[in-house]
Amino acid sequence: MIQKAMPTSRRTILKTLGGAAAVAAAGPSLFNVARAQAAPIKIGFPVPLTGPFGTEANDQVKAAQIAVKQFNDAGGFEGRMAELLVRDDRLNPGEAATRTLELIEKDKVNFLVGSLSAAVQLSINNVAKERGVIFNSISQSDAINEAKDWSKYTFHEALNPHITAGAVGRYAFSKFGKKVAFLTADYAYGHEMVRGFKRAGEGMGIEVLADVRHPIGASDYSAFLPRIQALKPDVLVLCNFGRDQVVSIKQATEFGLKRTTKLVAPVLLFTARKAGGDSFEGVVGGSSYYWRLEDKVASAKAFNDAFRAANGGAVPSDYGALGYAGVRSVLAAVAAARSTDTDRVIEAMRALKYDWYKGPQYYRGCDHQSVQSVLILESKHKDMKNADDVFSIAAVEEPDEAKLRTCAEMGHKA
Amino acid sequence: MTVLDPPQSTARRWLGHVARHRVAATLGFLVLFPLIVPYEALAANILVLGLYALGFNLLFGYTGLLSFGHAAFLGSGAYGCGIALVHFGVGWFGAILIGTALATLVAAVIGFLAIRTRGIYFAMVTLALSMCVYYAFYQMEPLTGGENGLRGVNLQTIGVFGFQLSFLNPTVKYYVLLAFVGVAIWLFSRLLASPFGAVLEAVRENENRARACGYDVAATKLVAFVISGAFCGLAGALNALHLSIVPIETLHYTTSGQVVMMALLGGMGTFFGPFVGAATFLLLQDVLSVLTQHWQLYVGIVFILFVLFFPRGIWGSLLDRFGPR
Repeated sequence: MIQKAMPTSRRTILKTLGGAAAVAAAGPSLFNVARAQAAPIKIGFPVPLTGPFGTEANDQVKAAQIAVKQFNDAGGFEGRMAELLVRDDRLNPGEAATRTLELIEKDKVNFLVGSLSAAVQLSINNVAKERGVIFNSISQSDAINEAKDWSKYTFHEALNPHITAGAVGRYAFSKFGKKVAFLTADYAYGHEMVRGFKRAGEGMGIEVLADVRHPIGASDYSAFLPRIQALKPDVLVLCNFGRDQVVSIKQATEFGLKRTTKLVAPVLLFTARKAGGDSFEGVVGGSSYYWRLEDKVASAKAFNDAFRAANGGAVPSDYGALGYAGVRSVLAAVAAARSTDTDRVIEAMRALKYDWYKGPQYYRGCDHQSVQSVLILESKHKDMKNADDVFSIAAVEEPDEAKLRTCAEMGHKA
Repeated sequence: MTVLDPPQSTARRWLGHVARHRVAATLGFLVLFPLIVPYEALAANILVLGLYALGFNLLFGYTGLLSFGHAAFLGSGAYGCGIALVHFGVGWFGAILIGTALATLVAAVIGFLAIRTRGIYFAMVTLALSMCVYYAFYQMEPLTGGENGLRGVNLQTIGVFGFQLSFLNPTVKYYVLLAFVGVAIWLFSRLLASPFGAVLEAVRENENRARACGYDVAATKLVAFVISGAFCGLAGALNALHLSIVPIETLHYTTSGQVVMMALLGGMGTFFGPFVGAATFLLLQDVLSVLTQHWQLYVGIVFILFVLFFPRGIWGSLLDRFGPR
């Protein structure tokens, strides 16, 4: 069989081999040029697709894909298209660190955007900053911008507890009264929120009647609520999140607390409100975004329309919108820097003055916190345009660096 | 054995070699392991959690005590190492020793309190005590970072015998971790082959008979508990260096449950089983969670199938089928 197939002479084989070698030798350079132009700009996107925040995380992915699509439809950057690499971090910092290592070491991502928990973003940040990869966080945390955790590769697109609680506090204390009680979930998020409210209230002369702590995941608030009710506060601030918030608001309503006291939450989630239903009536809280902003802000309208078109008419949630802004900022910086080189993209991001979806924003120089507006929302049950129209925008606190903690306070030099 | 055996014995002969040279075989496999895993960070995870399962298996598989509190040892090893590095500026080698020592100490305290109970009560007591450890670390926020976890366990380079190795290079990192895991595996094998190892199995098979033979059963259990904790502590310390963070979830009881699953999946009471279990569990999770959001469903189904049809686990069933008799 071998002999039959061997009419080719040794010489021919040598010639063929030589030719192949020549092509191979010339090949790599040609091939590399072709590849360099086509190589996608990879953005790693670790979010908790499974777990209690799965709804928000899926919304973040949908919104981020719109930013990628818009970038690619506009021709990309010198022919290079953007690509989103979504990973499930399971809301677990250890898994997030592993996935971040995978994205950096195996997939060689250019940038990282994502996360939906304080601990997870700090974990991603630590892994990314050691390896010199830009990370734009889209979830709330005070710690990530402090000098201890921060690096020049760290950007923070989301609000943080200090600004959110501050804005809500300034609005609520001036409007509803100065006698305040807190009901706080006993963990970092709750503590940071209380700190923010107290800071905002200091100058306004508020009187703190009680700061009641409850364990995370408590299902029965009857031990706390009568005590608070007896103090007759003007404002009850619920510094808890997700299911705790829904349950405690429900029980406060049943206790009749709403007759004497205004209920206030630092963050009102669009998804939690839709799940929580009627008990939210009249509750006031803060948010980074609400879709009805489109009535006033042109960029919100444009973003909502793009999101509706891609997702069968659904409107984006607050955290979802952050996925869009986080990715769009990075891609806009690539276009502005005319490069994907990390240092040049950092410079471009620091120089950005942008309005992607909610009005003007920019990153503060010393800690890369996105300076942006805070929405004060009130939950409503009348005059709803449709099933998604669950809040009215009571006030908008315009972007103002003075409302953030100072750079010196966060441990930065400048 | 070599010539007269029927043809199917090739596999049996191979497994016989593996069983006889279990340290060399395990190490040989682990050296080549990164080549067959999707990425190095996952290989390192499997390596470290395999060691965690190995330590757990000493108590569960060889001594017959089901603990639901082993996260306490993984976690205190990780925090001990991380805190030494971040807050006290200890070198990486010293930090690993401190982490392991802290876990050993915690194991001694928990073991002292827990070994007087048996069966389900033992599981409950270890679970409760490990949750005490969880809250202790949770509350020590200035040291441990509390809810946010400990960050900044950063090693750019490590000095080994005068060489500076880049710890950021995933391949280097894997083999540095493997050096420690290798020593631990060798120690573990020596321990099992010693008279003490035989006493452990005697206690597992029949506690009363072991006592009647004159062995101090309580002391044996306590020593096994402490040694098991030390192995898990080393795994924790290595995990802290690998991930450069220590999440508070490391101490949570779900981490204790995870190691039970790994040991069952791989084969309890077998030397190589814990690594097989860790590899199967983590690979399944990793691959499926990229493909589908319902990965938990599939991992659960696989686990149920194994418990129903291969109660001795993957490696245990292989040994049963083909292993040396």
